[in-house]
Amino acid sequence: MIEDDIYRASSQYRLWSYTESSLQSLRATTNTVASERVRAALRRSREQQSATSSAAGTPQPGSDMDGKNKDEKEIECLTPEEELVLVRYYCEKTLELGETYRPPMPTMARATAIQYLRRFYITNSPMTYHPKSIMACALFVATKTENYYMSLRQFADGIPGETSPEDVIAPEFLLMQGLRFTFDIRHPFRGLEGGVMELQAIADGQGQPAPHLPHETAEDLQQGLLSIAPPPTPSKSMSDRIAVAHGKTRDLLKTAAQMTDAYFLYTPSQIWLSAFLVADRPLAEFLLDVKLGGPVTATIPTPETDENGLLNPLYEIRSKLHRVLTECSALLQSYTPLSSDPVQMKNLKRIAKKLYHCQNPEKVNLKRESAQAPVSQPDSGAVTSESESERLAKKRKLEQEQMARQGNDVFGPDLVQRTKP
Amino acid sequence: MAANAVSRRDEDEVCPVCKSSRYLNPDMRFLINPECYHKMCESCVDRIFSSGPANCPVAGCRKTLRKNRFRTQTFEDINVEREVDIRRRVMQILNRREEEFDTKRNYDDFLEQREEIIANLVSRIDVSKTEAQLQKYASENMASIRANQTLEQEEATSFQARINLEQEQARIRRQAARQEYEIERREVQAGREDFLTRLASGTSTDAAAIAREGHKVLLKKSSARRSEEDRIRQKQAALRSEPTRVAGVSSGADTGLVKGLRKIKTPEPEKPYDPFMGYVPEKRDYYSLQESYPSQFLDNYRNNISVLAGGYDLREYYSRTLLEAFAGLSCFVDEEVSQRDAARVSAPVATEGAAIAAGQSGEGSA
Amino acid sequence: MALSPFSSRSPSMTVHSPNTAIRLRATAAQNAASGTAAVAASKPVPHGDRELTEQLNIDVRERYVKDKKVGEGTYAVVFVGHLRDNPSSLVAIKKIKVNAEYKDGLAMDAVREVKYLQELKHPNVIALHDVFSSKDQNLSLVLEFLPGGDLEMLIKDSDIQYGVADIKAWMGMLARGVWWCHENFVLHRDIKPNNLLIAADGEVKLADFGLARSFADPGFRMTSQVITRWYRPLELLYGAPHYSGAVDVWSMGMVFAELLIRVPFVAGNTDLDQVSKICEAFGTPTEDNWPGVSKLPHYIPTDKSQVVPLQGRDFFMRQFPTAGPVGADLLMAMCALDPRKRRTATQCLQHSWWTVDPRPTQNENLPRKSGGTKKMGDDLARRDLDEGLFKSAARQLDFGMK
Repeated sequence: MIEDDIYRASSQYRLWSYTESSLQSLRATTNTVASERVRAALRRSREQQSATSSAAGTPQPGSDMDGKNKDEKEIECLTPEEELVLVRYYCEKTLELGETYRPPMPTMARATAIQYLRRFYITNSPMTYHPKSIMACALFVATKTENYYMSLRQFADGIPGETSPEDVIAPEFLLMQGLRFTFDIRHPFRGLEGGVMELQAIADGQGQPAPHLPHETAEDLQQGLLSIAPPPTPSKSMSDRIAVAHGKTRDLLKTAAQMTDAYFLYTPSQIWLSAFLVADRPLAEFLLDVKLGGPVTATIPTPETDENGLLNPLYEIRSKLHRVLTECSALLQSYTPLSSDPVQMKNLKRIAKKLYHCQNPEKVNLKRESAQAPVSQPDSGAVTSESESERLAKKRKLEQEQMARQGNDVFGPDLVQRTKP
Repeated sequence: MAANAVSRRDEDEVCPVCKSSRYLNPDMRFLINPECYHKMCESCVDRIFSSGPANCPVAGCRKTLRKNRFRTQTFEDINVEREVDIRRRVMQILNRREEEFDTKRNYDDFLEQREEIIANLVSRIDVSKTEAQLQKYASENMASIRANQTLEQEEATSFQARINLEQEQARIRRQAARQEYEIERREVQAGREDFLTRLASGTSTDAAAIAREGHKVLLKKSSARRSEEDRIRQKQAALRSEPTRVAGVSSGADTGLVKGLRKIKTPEPEKPYDPFMGYVPEKRDYYSLQESYPSQFLDNYRNNISVLAGGYDLREYYSRTLLEAFAGLSCFVDEEVSQRDAARVSAPVATEGAAIAAGQSGEGSA
Repeated sequence: MALSPFSSRSPSMTVHSPNTAIRLRATAAQNAASGTAAVAASKPVPHGDRELTEQLNIDVRERYVKDKKVGEGTYAVVFVGHLRDNPSSLVAIKKIKVNAEYKDGLAMDAVREVKYLQELKHPNVIALHDVFSSKDQNLSLVLEFLPGGDLEMLIKDSDIQYGVADIKAWMGMLARGVWWCHENFVLHRDIKPNNLLIAADGEVKLADFGLARSFADPGFRMTSQVITRWYRPLELLYGAPHYSGAVDVWSMGMVFAELLIRVPFVAGNTDLDQVSKICEAFGTPTEDNWPGVSKLPHYIPTDKSQVVPLQGRDFFMRQFPTAGPVGADLLMAMCALDPRKRRTATQCLQHSWWTVDPRPTQNENLPRKSGGTKKMGDDLARRDLDEGLFKSAARQLDFGMK
């Protein structure tokens, strides 16, 4: 179908569509790599700690190794599932953050920010970059890409609490890199409007048949629509019924579709139709019938064939679609907001506490990193050499030592103490 | 040189057929026939072959000869004479030109092959096989052989043609310049008349503006026309001077004998220009876009003149919402993504970076 | 179509990651063995410093080699480069400068250009092959190499002669590029001859998407401070916040006229001057010929005595004789003052001009000029150089919403 090929050209299809299993193992890989690196970073930090202490006091040979082994066992990292819960929480927070602005940010900008977050955390772990710092930046970048531009200062002022413009913008480059410089998100919202417009036209007797089912007249379509099964909740008229389904679907798209993996696994048209199925099944089924021909359940045993004896391709699509939309509907329905569920909130608190102990100390201060980057890393167009990363590591270490000496520990409470029970 | 070669008249020369000698007959001319190269005197040829083809009178030679193929010998050495004949014949058949080959190398190979064929025929190695090859080639490449022969002839006479062409072009240029001058003169005239009539009719208040405008239009017109005409003229000239190299009559594909010929694209009949280059605008599979859709929400904009005056077009919105409603409806991501992943796994990649790079480069060049 | 990298569960993915892990463990073991913590801490962390995405970025970056600088503007530096493994595959690398004055992160121009070029793939739209970031957090766009210069160069070069068949070929490519943008619901908003670059094979490519945006949904406002003045339609000069693809069609019409007469057709010195020049040339907009025009924010009423009637077909035929009557008709349809009466890009391509004689010149026979690489460099690096004030205003102010 022509429309499908148009979607296939999008970066969302090309770079950001996955199977459930590929998504899962990608996240597992990200988690494994991040965990290793968190452990290594914490170890370095601890070693450096003991280095400064040993410089001050008496060196105790042998104690290092014992301490290290003990430590390494104690660092418990997040699991991929825990990371996912955390990211979801911050997606919900993004929605709220958008709401705090006056006027509230448009749905599209918020939804884009959420998808940026979700895409970013496929290849990045919350243990490395805390979602709290990425979230505001994602929303700010979304204002740029969704034509809802406001100045950084204005944006930062709108965030409750103390957030400086520098805090917001610090991870921008990191985020964009994580997004692989694809900013366009194909949302299901506009598609829903199109579908509803079509239904309304049919209800008004102005409907037009689908190109592959040209025999239907506007009257046929209208009659068909009027004779479908009643809605889940009674309504005064067909227009009302459509409006109610429209509203319900929109709410689902704003929430469940954003907080789940729907965008990675399904196309925008499948997503809105799945949500529409949840809102008013007979209405959604009717639209599919109009587009792809008769109800699929009844015709499976006797598939229609064309003059060449081939299975009508529309029926094949329809039956596949039946499966995919059912799956997607189930995914959308499985969503309950974290904040409204005490059990989930308790779990979240546990994860947050755990994250506190396994946050990568070398990535905490993004502002500093991005600020120093142009100075420490001249752009030669060439690869980062081993010697350069060595130099960087040295520089970082020197800075850390200096900070420690000055008693100005930017990493918060002492790590060694923190990891002790 | 040819004349000199035989001019040294041997007083003792004797016709091998009638045994008459030059001593007795100083005007005697000897002729040969390239079938067998046996020499005989002109009167023998007249006597034996005037009534039609006959066998060579030389003892042991049974070749059938025709009178019209007898000619004077060019070279004293009959072997040279024969080699030159063979060469001429072969080269008339294998008359490919350098520009017909893909590469210089292929052309050189061809030249070498031709020499080998000539050498074979001269030294009578594989004669029947080689002759068969030549015949086959000749019959299969008739058109190209003829075309190249024509070309050679043309080239021989091209010098004169070039001179003629140049004169012709100069004449066209002069004529065009005259015409142009004439047109411009007439336009200036017309412009003046227009200016006067407009002034007279008094449609505008500012006479100077009309004058200025008239002048401007004239300038633009003449400069635009000049460049346009220059180009047409150049194209015509290019067309004329373009060598009529229609050697493309050949099949183009490698003939059995000659390799490495340039593939000649038979110029396809020009298709009509398609402004969309193959795309069919507005063609859809899931819906037919309507001129308008009922929507209370949209009514706010439909009737809002300050929105409409800027050109805001709800049809653009309809077309987008409808497309987004159905685009990707039957893209089954799970199936398609695992298929393309399978395709990628088959290509060995060292790192995930390389895998991604591969994915991206494909996208980049797509 | 390209493949999604992340979706791959190819062995390569899992092979690499443990590798990193192993290396890290090795470092740790070494540290432990060395006994002195101070030494261990200063050990280099080979790839431990790189996030997965960083590594991806480096991989992209390493595929290209920069050769030489071919252009520089306030906004970007342009290099010619090539694929590391194929020196004959040329690309243009546009490195966007970190703008010290612009504290709001990546500039909108760059955001827009990247966003839209990632989605638009068409022979008449400049191709974006890759994007990567440099170590100093500059963004580099790997673009199609277009050594043929731009249309402005051809128009201005009096040594180059071209005819209506050539113009038709160029206009066809331009119209297809614009049509493709509109098919994908993107407004270009800066069409002008020096944004129309020419490839080695003569193909015209629409470039510079720094002012592009997608079509606004009903009710959403857009800035009218877009499109270089001489190519800006009246509705934008009048400050309309709601407009359509018709704005690009007007620019296209101006390019068409300029190709025909080889000078900008309506070249105002200021926005006000531009308005009056347009009215002088095409006629004065009134509520009759353009309903609602007086409701536009910056509409300037014209004195009754100054009203010039709308120009008819004969005007276009007189003014642009080279276009021929059919060409003049298309030009007129692109230059309708009322944007609702202007042809859409699709309708432009459906006009009969394309199929009447003369046939558009084949790309290989189009007039061309050397020295285009430098021009490409300047074109890609440009922005803010000419009309600096106006452009910065467009960038910084009022992105439509508010």
